[in-house]
Amino acid sequence: MKILTCPLNGPRNISEFVYGGEVKDMPDPNTCSDKAWADYVFYHDNLIQIVKEWWLHAPSGYWFIAERHTASDEIIKTYDPSEIYNTRIEFSTQQEERA
Amino acid sequence: MKPSQRLNEPMGLLIDRNKPVQFKFENQLVSGYAGDSIASALIANQSWLMSRSFKYHRPRGPLTMAGQDANTLIQLGGEPNVLADRQNISQDIQVRGQNYNGSLENDKDAVLGYFGRFMPVGFYYRSFFKPLGAWKKWEGVIRDKAGLGVLDLNFKPEYYDKKYLFADLVVVGSGPAGLAAALKAADAGATVILVEEQTILGGSLTYNRFDIEGKKAQTLRHELLTRVTEHPNIQVMTDAVCNAWFTDNYLPVIQGKRMYKIRAKECILASGAYEQHVVFRNNDLPGVIMCSAATRLIKHYAVKPGNKAVVLTGNDEGYYTALDLLEQGIEVAAIVDMRAQAQDPILFASVAEKGISIKQGATVYEALATKGNKHIKGVDIRQITGKGQVADTAELIDCDLLCMSAGFMPAYQILCQAGAKLSYDDAAAEFNLSGLPAHLYIAGSVNGIYSLDAVLKDGEKAASEALNSLGLSTEPVADVNCDKKVNYDWPIFSHPKGKDFVDYDEDLQAKDIVNATRLGYRDIQLVKRFSTVGMGPSQGRHSALPTARLVANATDRSVTETGVTTARPPFAPEKLAHLAGRIFDPYQRTPMHYRHLELGAKMIPAGHWQRPAYYGGAGERDKCIQLEADHVRNKVGLIDVSTLGGIELRGPDAAEFMNRIYTFGFLKQPVGKTRYAVLTNEHGVVIDDGVACRIADDHFYVTATTSGVTRVYREMTKWNAMWRLDVDILNVTSAFSAVNLAGPDSRKVLEKLAPEFDASADAFPYLAYRETNIQGIPARLLRVGFVGELGYEIHVPAQYGEALWDLIMQAGKAFQIKPFGVETQRLLRLEKGHIIVSQDTDGMSHPGELSLGWAVNRKKPFFVGCRSVDIMMAKPMKRKLVGFRLPADSAKPEEGHLVIEQGEVTGNITSCEYSPAVKAIIGMAFAGIEQSEPGSKIGIRVDGKMLQAEVVSLPFYDPKNSRQEL
Amino acid sequence: MNMSDTQPSLKRSLLYRTTTGEHYKQQDGGMLVAQFSANDAEQAKRCGLLDLSVARRTGLRGKNAPSVLSEHLPGMANTSVIQANFAEQLSTGEWVLRLGKTEYWVLSSLTGTNASLDALDQAASQTADCYPLYCQSSHAWFVLTGDYISEVMAKLCAVDLNERVFPVGKIAQTSVARVNAIVVKQTYQGIPAFSILSDSSSAEYLWLAILDAMQEFNGQAIGADVLTV
Repeated sequence: MKILTCPLNGPRNISEFVYGGEVKDMPDPNTCSDKAWADYVFYHDNLIQIVKEWWLHAPSGYWFIAERHTASDEIIKTYDPSEIYNTRIEFSTQQEERA
Repeated sequence: MKPSQRLNEPMGLLIDRNKPVQFKFENQLVSGYAGDSIASALIANQSWLMSRSFKYHRPRGPLTMAGQDANTLIQLGGEPNVLADRQNISQDIQVRGQNYNGSLENDKDAVLGYFGRFMPVGFYYRSFFKPLGAWKKWEGVIRDKAGLGVLDLNFKPEYYDKKYLFADLVVVGSGPAGLAAALKAADAGATVILVEEQTILGGSLTYNRFDIEGKKAQTLRHELLTRVTEHPNIQVMTDAVCNAWFTDNYLPVIQGKRMYKIRAKECILASGAYEQHVVFRNNDLPGVIMCSAATRLIKHYAVKPGNKAVVLTGNDEGYYTALDLLEQGIEVAAIVDMRAQAQDPILFASVAEKGISIKQGATVYEALATKGNKHIKGVDIRQITGKGQVADTAELIDCDLLCMSAGFMPAYQILCQAGAKLSYDDAAAEFNLSGLPAHLYIAGSVNGIYSLDAVLKDGEKAASEALNSLGLSTEPVADVNCDKKVNYDWPIFSHPKGKDFVDYDEDLQAKDIVNATRLGYRDIQLVKRFSTVGMGPSQGRHSALPTARLVANATDRSVTETGVTTARPPFAPEKLAHLAGRIFDPYQRTPMHYRHLELGAKMIPAGHWQRPAYYGGAGERDKCIQLEADHVRNKVGLIDVSTLGGIELRGPDAAEFMNRIYTFGFLKQPVGKTRYAVLTNEHGVVIDDGVACRIADDHFYVTATTSGVTRVYREMTKWNAMWRLDVDILNVTSAFSAVNLAGPDSRKVLEKLAPEFDASADAFPYLAYRETNIQGIPARLLRVGFVGELGYEIHVPAQYGEALWDLIMQAGKAFQIKPFGVETQRLLRLEKGHIIVSQDTDGMSHPGELSLGWAVNRKKPFFVGCRSVDIMMAKPMKRKLVGFRLPADSAKPEEGHLVIEQGEVTGNITSCEYSPAVKAIIGMAFAGIEQSEPGSKIGIRVDGKMLQAEVVSLPFYDPKNSRQEL
Repeated sequence: MNMSDTQPSLKRSLLYRTTTGEHYKQQDGGMLVAQFSANDAEQAKRCGLLDLSVARRTGLRGKNAPSVLSEHLPGMANTSVIQANFAEQLSTGEWVLRLGKTEYWVLSSLTGTNASLDALDQAASQTADCYPLYCQSSHAWFVLTGDYISEVMAKLCAVDLNERVFPVGKIAQTSVARVNAIVVKQTYQGIPAFSILSDSSSAEYLWLAILDAMQEFNGQAIGADVLTV
């Protein structure tokens, strides 16, 4: 069984983790084209390369990011998401909420 | 049977001569000693025949004496397929041979041997395909004839379990390489687990001869073992089989009734090599064994394997074997050396000096059998004239033992699982393993190193590599070389009359493999599938190499080009009990669980939980549900809803976060109010729903479905890992226990329960949230309408759950309160047209299809899935979730039944039940958009018949919702 | 004697039916097995299991959690000395567990009135960016004691909990018998122990799974008194 090193809890069996999909940027849902949105929701590049992925350490409820090579399955590094997401994300306001 | 005669000590490493043991084989009493394997005890009593072969029912005896062949599969009591050369004897065990008709000695089906030509290679493969029905015809016969062993259907379950073990280094194999590696690593401070398949440590040191004098192995073994057993850093596991290699050195090791899961930082595989057989006619007769099997019999068990022996060899090891035989008083009639000359001239000279006849460049072309092929009685020896070719003139020699060694093949199976590649140099007849993953090393004969000094160095070299990786050493690692050759390049001598076995397990002869290539199966994997070579219990340990050689030769390629068949876990057969032992199957229970049992609830699973379906016997479902529903509608009922998910959101951004996660607007939700919360995923599909309570400006408590809460919580925390909002998200599912107190009299019960609390409709209106104290228990109260009656969800800390239940049941007594179950609740909410996400929705359901448009706020800038919802809702809808009704006496559709319109499936039933309140069968179903308006008819197929149901508007019951808003 | 016969309190361990003993006592508003058998002292040293679910504990997290802890928990001068996934016993007897960047749990000393924990809860609920956790309700609390604890856990858990690599004060948030759990290495009265904090709804399951793993070492339930008196 593969070992994944959690930045908070250290090396653990991969069975303690839950895969959370690739790290990818969301296009602005209010302005992007239908195609750009569909690309974001449905398509994956699926290339042989190092990818950034979300992983959850289930027992501690801790999400982190792992960089993994899709061919060798080697995990290059893992780190706290704040290394990528360090500022509050806002969404453009269309209209004031009524109710 | 004759009494057991044993060789003198120090022969018999494994046996205790002071402890005689008796057991029965084929109902005959057999004597042996403690430490004997079944096979050694039988051979000590001149009984070689242990089983009959799979296809031809040929008599078979041990080949390796090391548990590596399938010839020794016997029936031990109720347990079939036990290896007689691995299983120790114990007093009074009952052992039988396998795979015979009549008796082991006189197998009526041995006659099949003469019908062999009607069961050609590929027989099974072809019978599965055509002519059509052929398999049906043959199956019964084959199952009957080809079955091994007998299962005891009256077995008693036994306790098997699993355990983790941890170490810096695990060494698999305790031969000289493994021992040297373990010691070096342990001396440097590493914690080491040493795994050995046999019952004693030492590997080849326990049976092999490494020098002419025959002293070296014993002295060295004693020295190494003393150090290993006394070493505080080494944990020794004997009689333990490492059955696989999984990523990052995760090794399942089976020992007794336990499967250890070893996790090691580093791993050294010193698994040794398998001695290979020579392919010639009748090479399967009892008495034809590997050289190492003969020396194991002698040195492990003090058993004399024969009186007059011939040694057939392709390397110098055969000469050492001859010396061992001679030393124990066994006449060596000849050494038949397939090579033109021996590698070690001094060894050759000293053997020749003893007067042993040595025939160089010759082979055994055929082994001659006693009556019924029961044992070898002599050999037909010929000069080798070319690759696999022999001279016409034969020399016949009488013997009762033939020891053979064509060479050694690395025990590559586990390494192959780790991704290593096995290559073979055809000219030099040498193997090479490459492509090992990091933190995995090999040492000794598995690494192609055979001379003892080099093997020890190779073990230490592997240890150095491991130590460097552990940071316990920085020593430079030097390569180890060894020029000892052990493999003869073409030990295959096909005979026109066949029975020149390549694969003993599957009774495959040289021509069977060649025929497979002629039929076009060039790929080694296809040859395996077609011929079944290597598929038997010994998994190609002996058949892989000759098969590769034959296929390579027949297709004009090299063995490296053809390759060998893939080895997959498990390395050795393992019992299902080892996999099934101590399986963890967690369950969850609400605090009221035992109250439900006391009240006679019929419990049903809900994920890991158990919930009351209804209260009553299994046969009274419909009656119970209808009575319970009636009681809630007219009086008051109580249901345990502790399994409901619960999530708390606290902090300045709690409302903003709610607003982004759920479809509705939450910024302006008043404190003290609840609001329906629908969750869509990024595809715009409804994946969960719940009730959001605003406890304070910066504090929400939101419920989620029982099965959905874990996922919802994970999604929420993941989103906020990106959004970085100032909100704390906490899964409080298990922290709260909850009930729904529902029915026209529920307010009276609540007032009695909490006299201080103002439960009046003005003070605590529909959809409000309040907190109070119920006789010392802090409680959260939600006025909800899920079942369509005046009702209160009461949430309390889990440790008070059972007390709460008791208090309510007590307070409700005066109002004839009754508990109701999940099935009743499903009926009640169906009457109200409330959906259950994942029952009335599927992986495609967007809010529009579910008529949940009202719960989607599109004035706010964002919620998860908003864009997908927009895109889908803008498209013309194709289907919709509708309510339908059928007369009470109609057949009742079940969930999943199809809705069909003009031969096309347009949807399916999601919920359906007889409603006592409506006095009709009611349900919800996805229907085509054209049929979705009230008054339309939908066709439902029930048990092959079409029903026409009327689409009606929801809810079915109390359309003005006046009852829940009381 | 069955505990359900002597269960007057509203606050109950979710497995009070399963954990029975010879003597009971009041603990933090619930009933606790004080003594399982006369052999408790020996048993605890060898291999014992205790249900402390009714015993007091609390948790808090958020940016201001460390300051609330150091201000309101006597003996907790500086929270930064505790690293994530480590625990420390205060001079006042409580164990402080640090489970994440800003998450702390406090386990009662089992002897006092827990006034300091009450004060802590009070302060946490009144401080911005400090959120009380509901570990008293959401989690069961077991203590596994004796010489064989790491052997027992090796049958249930894939993390190496041997003393050599998992000394007193270390925490593993992991899976135990396939349920999520927090495992803390401690000592009680000099006896090596693991506190196991796990989802209260699967408490009964986990209790039985641990007891089953303990059989090999003649493990048994014990009462709380041997750890406190």
